[in-house]
Amino acid sequence: MSNQSIQVSAIVPVGGRQTALRELYAEYRSGMKALGVPFEFIFVLDGPQPGYEKALAELVTEGEPITVISLSRYFGEATAIMVGFDHAAGAVIMTLPAYLQVEGSEIKRYYDAIDGADVVVGHREPRATRWFDSLRRRAFHGLLAYVTRLHFHDLGCNARAVRRKVLEEVRLYGDQQRFLPVLAERQGFRVAEIAVKQSAGDRHDQPYELRNYTRGFLDIFNVFFLVRFTKKPLRFFGMIGVATFGIGIIELLYLVFDRIFLSTPLADRPALLLASLLIVLGVQIFALGLLGELIIFTHAGGSKDYQVDRVVQYPGADMVASPAKSAAASPVKVVA
Amino acid sequence: MYPLPKLSVIVPFYNEEDSIGPMHAAIVAAVDPLRISYEMVFVDDGSRDSTASRAEEIARSDARVRFVKFRRNYGQTAAMAAGIEYARGEVLVTMDGDLQNDPLDIEHFLTKMAEGFDIVVGWRHKRQDKLMSRKIPSVIANRLIGKVTGVPITDNGCSLKAFRGSLIRSIPLYSEMHRFIPAMASIAGPRIAEIKVRHHARQFGKSKYGLSRVYKVLLDLMVIKTVTSFTSRPLLWFALLCLPLTFVGLVTLIAGLGLGFASGHMSLPLTGSGVIFLSAALTLMASGTLGELIYKLGDVRPEDFARLTQKWVSPNQSSASV
Repeated sequence: MSNQSIQVSAIVPVGGRQTALRELYAEYRSGMKALGVPFEFIFVLDGPQPGYEKALAELVTEGEPITVISLSRYFGEATAIMVGFDHAAGAVIMTLPAYLQVEGSEIKRYYDAIDGADVVVGHREPRATRWFDSLRRRAFHGLLAYVTRLHFHDLGCNARAVRRKVLEEVRLYGDQQRFLPVLAERQGFRVAEIAVKQSAGDRHDQPYELRNYTRGFLDIFNVFFLVRFTKKPLRFFGMIGVATFGIGIIELLYLVFDRIFLSTPLADRPALLLASLLIVLGVQIFALGLLGELIIFTHAGGSKDYQVDRVVQYPGADMVASPAKSAAASPVKVVA
Repeated sequence: MYPLPKLSVIVPFYNEEDSIGPMHAAIVAAVDPLRISYEMVFVDDGSRDSTASRAEEIARSDARVRFVKFRRNYGQTAAMAAGIEYARGEVLVTMDGDLQNDPLDIEHFLTKMAEGFDIVVGWRHKRQDKLMSRKIPSVIANRLIGKVTGVPITDNGCSLKAFRGSLIRSIPLYSEMHRFIPAMASIAGPRIAEIKVRHHARQFGKSKYGLSRVYKVLLDLMVIKTVTSFTSRPLLWFALLCLPLTFVGLVTLIAGLGLGFASGHMSLPLTGSGVIFLSAALTLMASGTLGELIYKLGDVRPEDFARLTQKWVSPNQSSASV
């Protein structure tokens, strides 16, 4: 099988929840076949899974276009996808979950939609779910929309299509896979959302544990920081620091006022402890922000704040050594 | 091969479809008579109107125009930084794309640069903007910026500035630092001159600023103070922050202890506060040391900046500057 001809690479990270391999593969393969272009599958086993690995090896010996990558331990879905991407040959990358979320026939619709976009995310609609899960999901996406000002409906749907350049620029890690559309949009990529049919196997929700809530919340916080404050940590830490400091100062002034005009002895006020704690905390948080700024400043040469779409100049003065060496009017990626 | 131009005029545009044509014409009309080689770098900061397509048209018809298009809106600092990155001239002149700056002033900037200055800053001495929302905050901000950074410039907000290319290319520009380029550049100790420039009232489009910048400007100022003082005396800035904390801590602690010895009844709030303040001072010093470490591991070196603005005299070369 020659790699040059491959158009679409499907990456399947196998970590947690999974559908029986034969069933899953049959569904996805029929979907990929419908595209009418050469394709390949890359299964990334996130942590040792001997049974799955054996089943995959069987498929490989049957002559299926599958690459299997086994990771020594669990690294997280995003890392698994990035590892799979290193081996992918296609111009379009489909990420597909290891359990059936959407029907295989929908793959075609993803592929069609990527014509006008760089990232296509699915939105399972109509969705069979319990009311509580639906509420939880709404809260999550609402909070995310508030924080990032981007509106997505179903970031839990891991069937997505992305162009190669997106994964080349947006390096994911940990659990960030879910936020790929947000981070891609941040980099100036066009993100489209399509409604897809939910697979029958996905109709029952997994129990949602408490630690998933904490994780979800931390994820949002992480993205919030990444999206809004990466280049200006003092805006974030400064805000919190100044607020804490301000509350402390106000309390202190009140105590001093009491002492001077109402003669309440300062030494007997436990509130004094709180005031000093708040003031000190404020200063320290602020100092953290300054340290963050120092990190940004000393590394500013290595990272760019902007992504250039293209550079135009006629007639081809680009021969001269300059950042825009490649042909004018072609997309130029700026890397320091 | 095209020779490197003497002058690059950098103009960022954001939703300025009406201004871009006249702007190009005005620059050409102003710089052509000067008889120097020059180029224009137009940066489109992700405009939603037809700015980009008009700029592209201009770039296709005029070989002196290089047009850089952003994928989306990144803000004025990024646009300036991109302009600087793609400019090839010895002298870089930046100006706003809204026709409020007058390209005819470029001549005066070049004269000043020829006198040996590294940065020449424009001063809109007859500013055509609203008094309350634009002028008064700006006067206060400029005073403050001058005081804090030690670079007294009357009008930091004026985009019309000229830089020696080698200098400005090595100053890290990020976040919203475009207002503070001279202050940031002060790391290198440049020779800065200020000249009065014309300022026109806005002809097209809307102003993109508001009063809400005050908080951001204040924080940015702290940042600049930190990063620029770190390049010379790293720990000092954090030590200065520590000083009031230590003072307050000592006073409270001594008062608490003294009171305790005098009355036989130790006051927890007083001594406790003293201990809190003192320990905070200690943590802050630790942060400063951490900052030193960060700075050491980073890629900013003060001697690089010193080299940028040095002048030297040697036997085989009478006198020169970089």
